[in-house]
Amino acid sequence: MSDLKNRTLTLEKVFEAPLELVWEAWTTSEHIVKWWAPQGMDLKVLEHDFRVGGKWKYAMPMPDGNEFISEGTYKEIIEMEKIITSADFRPMTENVELHAYFERQGDQTKFTFSVVHETEEYCKQQEEMGFYNGWASAFDRLEILLLSTK
Amino acid sequence: MRRDVFQAIADPIRREIIDTLSGTQMTINEVSEKFEISRPAISKHLKILEECGIVSVTQKGRERFCYVNHENLIPAFLWIEKYHKQWEKRIDSFENYVNQLKNEKKINE
Repeated sequence: MSDLKNRTLTLEKVFEAPLELVWEAWTTSEHIVKWWAPQGMDLKVLEHDFRVGGKWKYAMPMPDGNEFISEGTYKEIIEMEKIITSADFRPMTENVELHAYFERQGDQTKFTFSVVHETEEYCKQQEEMGFYNGWASAFDRLEILLLSTK
Repeated sequence: MRRDVFQAIADPIRREIIDTLSGTQMTINEVSEKFEISRPAISKHLKILEECGIVSVTQKGRERFCYVNHENLIPAFLWIEKYHKQWEKRIDSFENYVNQLKNEKKINE
């Protein structure tokens, strides 16, 4: 396998809540509708079959009458620990894998979330758009530069 | 071949060149010294960067200096920002919701 790190966007957080609560909020549809959609947008859960091989499909109605569909299939679930699912967000991000890791830290929960770009073609497309890591330094400097020239 | 910012940063060596030049000016020789690949190869990458509008060359006396046109990197910058922000926002919104749930549970207890 080629370098996984190069194909990944990773976000890490420590939530001020116990693991059970975080897990429930991440995995049950009654909770997902409350946080998945950007503010001001509605979310419809069309399918949510939370087991390995089960499908999920969410729809967000857009102002123009179309729906923005997100969907995927759960590939791996380890209760209170790990979820891997395929995901398609048409048309922006197709054929990616979402990895979510949960770790109890007393009353807190460490959460690690990655978006992994699976297909070679997709990687290439993303690379052309300069999405990959290793760019933080250049862009940090660019940001400083932009702020200083304003 | 396409000549734009995305083409410029599609190659890891070119990304490193931009990093190296960022905020400074260097001659082609000075740039080459920072890399293990040959000077002609660096020249080729610099030429592509120039065609993409990311690097410019200025003559000072007998030397030619390369520098980065930062403003032309902005389209790539905005694209990445947008993509990252989308996920950051979703995870932030999840965190807010978890905090809200926790507080509700406390009140009910």
